Order: sequence, then structure tokens, then C-alpha cells
Amino acid sequence: MTTATSARTDVSLIAHLLRRAGFGVTRDQIDAYTAKGYEETVEELLHPKQEEAADQDLLDRYFIASVEARSVGHADPQWAWRLATSQKPLEEKIALFWHSLLAVGGVKLDHGLEMLTEIELFRRVGLGRFQNILIEISRNPGMMYWLDNQNSHKNAPNENYGRELLELFSMGIDDLGGGAYTEDDVKTAARAFTGWASRPTPPPFFLGPFPMEFNFDSSDHDDGEKTFLGETGNFNGEDIVEIIAKQRATARFIAFRLYLFFVADEPNEPEIERLTDVFQETNGDIRSLLRSIFNSDHFKSEEVRFRKIKSPAELVFGTARLTDRFDIPDMESSSLANQALFMGQHLLNPPSVEGWHEGEEWVDSGSLIERINFASGEVGRTDAPGIQRMIERVGTSNDLLDPEEFVEACLDALGSIDLGDRSKSVLMDHASQVGPFDSDKPESEERTVEMFQLIVSTPDYQYC
Amino acid sequence: MSLNNFSYSHTIGIASFLGRGFMNPVDVRLDSKGLVYVLSRSNAGNQDVRVSVQTQDSEFLHEFGRWGTDPGQTTQPSAMAIDSDDRIYVTDEFMHNVTVFNREGQFIDRWGESGTENGRFNRPSGIAIDSEGNLHIVDHLNTRIQKLAPDGTFISSFGTFGTEPGQLNFPWGIAIDEEDSIWVADWRNDRVQKFSNNGDFINSLGSSGKKDGQFNRPSGVHVTSDGSIFVADWRNDRVQAFTSDDTHSETLIGDATLSKWCQEFLDVNPEQASWRENAALFEMEKRFWRPSAIESSDDGLILIADSCRHRIQIYQQERAMAMN
Repeated sequence: MTTATSARTDVSLIAHLLRRAGFGVTRDQIDAYTAKGYEETVEELLHPKQEEAADQDLLDRYFIASVEARSVGHADPQWAWRLATSQKPLEEKIALFWHSLLAVGGVKLDHGLEMLTEIELFRRVGLGRFQNILIEISRNPGMMYWLDNQNSHKNAPNENYGRELLELFSMGIDDLGGGAYTEDDVKTAARAFTGWASRPTPPPFFLGPFPMEFNFDSSDHDDGEKTFLGETGNFNGEDIVEIIAKQRATARFIAFRLYLFFVADEPNEPEIERLTDVFQETNGDIRSLLRSIFNSDHFKSEEVRFRKIKSPAELVFGTARLTDRFDIPDMESSSLANQALFMGQHLLNPPSVEGWHEGEEWVDSGSLIERINFASGEVGRTDAPGIQRMIERVGTSNDLLDPEEFVEACLDALGSIDLGDRSKSVLMDHASQVGPFDSDKPESEERTVEMFQLIVSTPDYQYC
Repeated sequence: MSLNNFSYSHTIGIASFLGRGFMNPVDVRLDSKGLVYVLSRSNAGNQDVRVSVQTQDSEFLHEFGRWGTDPGQTTQPSAMAIDSDDRIYVTDEFMHNVTVFNREGQFIDRWGESGTENGRFNRPSGIAIDSEGNLHIVDHLNTRIQKLAPDGTFISSFGTFGTEPGQLNFPWGIAIDEEDSIWVADWRNDRVQKFSNNGDFINSLGSSGKKDGQFNRPSGVHVTSDGSIFVADWRNDRVQAFTSDDTHSETLIGDATLSKWCQEFLDVNPEQASWRENAALFEMEKRFWRPSAIESSDDGLILIADSCRHRIQIYQQERAMAMN
């Protein structure tokens, strides 16, 4: 491999990593990460600094209604800003992953403040041990309310949380609709979580919402002997989670879901088996699992690149980040959440406890038009600093570019993305009609932006 | 926390998207008749903004300046001031302008647009009126205080970005005292600064922290006719009072009781009243959550915009006992 080819490979690989571990990056950021090296970048992504964002005060000032967010609609400017600007992309990406897997929906909870608290929870613990994540979400007052655990009492357990904990949050069901657990295990889990609930808060209708708190009522907890997944004891919720976390079925379920979210829409059985082993060897350490994913030959291979349909959040925030136009919170940044909603993903309000169905289900004829219009509009923002830098990068690639070089330069400027042969051929035909690209000509900027817009309008751009 | 120089009086407000009540009130002003004007900001995308007018006894009168970009509408209102003729000036951070209403809420004029030139703004926030009727506006992303005539004609400006004495960092609220000195809530420098009417730095009050006399992002400042200084210590969820020689005298953390409107709401919604009783967070209900701005009356009422609790908490300052 020549030095130039190796450099292109490095750039392409870093770009791939950042599309999956984040929401994509600008070409300049790719250069910076490439200079650090691939594995160093993986480690940086895996170890975001746990601290309040330096601009949280600004966000609260400009979006005061988000401080005590009454509803999802009042809360989403907060997360939209983080998704559009965070320099800790994996922290936001893992929050999005858990937000869909351990889903709490605003449609029932209708408590924007608690929804933001849940996202913050995922930022804080989302890269840690799965057992701890499950404990934290089981103590999350929003989750307790969402799945009716405040109605689960010592003498009348409500099975909703116990059932979803096993079926949707940890062990899953098999192809035949069964699972590695029984109906009795569901009932036992429900007994173990009696007394786990959210503390009552005043109604939000006259003073706005109050922060929710977890409450354990020992007098309403069934402390009797229980048999769960073959083990017997006076189990509480923590014990149930501990038992769940060491099951092979749990390891496989989480490996499977991480694979679908970070690697490819089509599962790869050998790779999922390998990740299942990693889960068990590391006691379910999510950071270790992601490290194993990102550093694997499988993840780095061409086989999985551009094989995942972008979720609306990935499409919206990934494209918006290219513009680098968000230096201070404003209505433009807050409107990005609405764009994702128009494409079918209402952030902070997943449609059900199952979260969002990913993959090809994201795209239909209506959402595709929304996606194309949005992406085309974003890369057409010639006043945005990020777009200006992209234009300059194309312009300085060479004095005169033939159509193929011009298309490649535009693809590179957009973040080292790649297209299939068919799309590339159409774009080169279009470029050929105008002739070689000359950056000195006055129409060069317009021509470059037009090519950016054509690229993000291809079917290929819907993949990451 | 006991009150030495104040007594709690009462509270006006209820969370409401329109009509009677407020949604994240960020400013409160009294007109010449003692009517209470409250500026609701909410989030621009939620379109709950407006100016509400009510008596001090919670009689709702009318509202104006609702969401929009047409003349007479506001989008991201930040602050307001009322002149001696009871004209209301509202700053708007989205449209970068100032809209003027009469006391009935009818649109009179608006001026200003985005820019750095004199008379233009980049997110105008706090606004105050001096003894000559001129407006002093915190042009906060241009890091300056602009002085304009009531019709928007530029007169002068001062201010540079930084942390040194006299410099500003995302300033927000502003007040003019009896001597026409200018007080600015230097928000991101965690201090309040005093300037002469022509912008010469005089002194600074406060530093970063949680102790008495320290601030965490002060949003509003107000100076009463007897020289007492009030600071909305926004991120510390409290209001601090200082004597005219800058000595800390009181810290208010909120003492709200149910407003008349809240009581009426609970009376006709017994299930909500029961829900509230069951929660029993009565102490938490009293406290400020992001108090943003302060106003006073000549007879010693101190009105505080309790932004995230959608209400105005009102205290009575015991002047005979208190300050210089």
C-alpha cells in the first residue's frame, strides 16, 4: 500500500468510526482524529469526561422552559443542542441507544424534566456495566411510572415491569416467541420489584413540574422466598437484576442490539457470538464491548460500511453538524428535533416500550422526501462556516479537476463518504455536462454546493 | 431562613399557556398605577410568550405581545421597561429589536435589527430607563450597553468583552438608580457592576460562589429608591439584598404560598388538590426556581419573577428597620 493510499484508508476508517460512534464529523475533524490514530480515537470516544457541559448555563438561559421542562416539547431544545454540538459524540450516541432500548415515552410520562433526567442517566452510566445500567433504570422514577410499577403492591404485584425487564430490556424472546425464562420468572420478578416506585409529586398544572424521585417502600415489598431463573432466595429487585445480568441469553441479547445499532442492520451470527463471549468475560462492561466492536476487523471491513440506514437523528444531526453553524443556542438548533420528528423519530418520546424499529423501517416515500429536502438544505447553507470550509477544500484540491476528481473531492469534503457505482456514475455524468471544475471561475462555489446537494440526495446518503 | 428586613406578602401567578397566568416569567414591572406587568418567555418554539397585566391583588386584566414576528408580536422576549407615560418597551432576542406598546397593549412602534452598528443589536436583553427618559439596553452578544432615545435613536454605548473590572461577559439585566448610575448583571462573570451614566466603571459587587455576597449567573439587578440593591442570583435560586454601601443584608430563597389563582384552580380540581396533598412537597413549593428579575414599588413592595415556578413572589421591605 502506498503512503497516499494508506492515508486515504485511515481517513476513510476514521470517518466510518465517527459515523457509527457518533453522528459523523466534518472533514477537518477527521484530519484531527486521524492524526491521533484509530485506536487512540476509540479510547477517547470511550472515555468522555463526566462533567457539566460548559455551555449548560447558556442553554438554560436561552431555553428557560427547558430547565423545568413541562413536556417533551419544552425539553427537546436541550437534547437537540447536545446532539448538534457535543464534542463527546459517543456519550450522546450511547444515550440514544439506551433511550430506544430502555424506552420511556413522553406520551404517557409527559414530564420533559424527567425525560431529560433519563438521558443524563444514560450519559452517566451508559458505557458502564450492564447490570448497573439495569439497576439505575429500575430506580428511575420515570421508568417506574411508565411501566406502572407504582401500581405494583406486595399483595397485588403488577407484572408490567417484570415482563418488559426480561422480554425487552435484557433476555429477549426467541424466534418462536418464547424466551430463556418462564411465565413464573416474570411473576417472580414482579414480586421482587414490589415497593419500587416513584415518589408522588404535585400535579404540574399550576406550578409546573417537580423533579421526580425514586422511592422504595419496604412495607409494600414482598420479601418472601422466590425462585427465579433456577435460583432461590428472598430476592429484591437488585438480586433479580444480578441474576439476569449473568445469563447467557442477556449477554447475547445486548450483543445483538449493540451490533444492530453500531455495526449493521443485518445481524452477523459469528460476530454476535463473539460479542456475547466478550459480554460474559467482562461482566457486561459496555465500554469493553464497544471497544471490541470498534477495533474488530469485522467493523473495519468494507462489508459493513454504509450498510446501516441512518436513523432520523443520525441523518439530521449528522448533516447539521457539517455546517458547524451552532455557536450559541438558538431557535435553529432547537428546530432540529422537529426535523427528526418529521422523519419519524420523536426524540424523548419513543412510540412504545419497544423503542424505535430501526433499519429500513425508517424510510418510506414521505420520510425520504423529508430527509432529502433537509440534507439538501443544510449543505446549501453557504453562509455556514462548515460549508464554507468544505467549499474551500474542494477549491484547493487542485487547479483543475476532471469530473471524476471533482465528484471525489466533494465526497471527501462531505466527510469522506462513499457512494455506490450507480450513484457515482450519475453524478459524474452530471459533472461531465459542465466540464472540468475550475476553482478560479466565479460559478465554482455554486457548482460545488450543487454537487453537495446532489450527493446528499442520493439513496446512498441514507446509509452510514 | 428567617427574614430580618422583609416580610413575605403574597404571590401572583399560575402556570398557564395563555390568558390568566404566566409561562416562565422573566421580567416584572409596575406602571404608574401600580399594575403588574409580567413578561412570559417560555421557549420560542412553544409560542407561550406574552405580556400579562394584572392588579397586585391578582385581578387579570389583559395580555398582549403574543408569539409571532409581525408588528405587536414577540418571539423571544427577554426584558421590558415602562416609562413615565406607561409605554412598555419589550426587547426581543430573536428579532433583535424593541417593540413599544401603550398601556392598553396596543402596538406603537418597533425599531432595531440584527447587527453590530450603533442602534443595531445582537440579542438585546435587559432594558432600563433613566431620569431623562432615555433607554439603556443590554446588547448582550455585542457586549455593550446602548443608550437610545425613546424613539430608538442612538445616543451612545459602552462595554467590551472580558473579565477585567468594567468589562462584560454575557450581561443580562440592567437597572438605573436614583442618581442615574447604571447597574448591570454581568451574568457570566458572576458579578454586578456599577457604571456612571456615561459608562465609566465605578465598582463591582460579588464573585463566583454560593456564599452570601457571591453569585452564580446573576440575571437581574434592581435598585430601590432608598438605594437598596437586589440581585437575582439565578443559578443559586435565590435573591440577595445589599445595603446602599454594598453590604449583604438578606438572602431570600422563596416563601411562596398558593396564589389566589392556584387556590381557585385547586378548589375546582379536587383531584389535583388531593394529588398535591399526597405529594406533600410544601417546602419545595415555596422556593424560587431561577428567579430572573426584580421590581419594587415606592411603598416597599419587592416583586420577584420566579421564572420556573410561573409566578411573582412579593415581599414587603421593612424600610424603617433596614438600610441606610
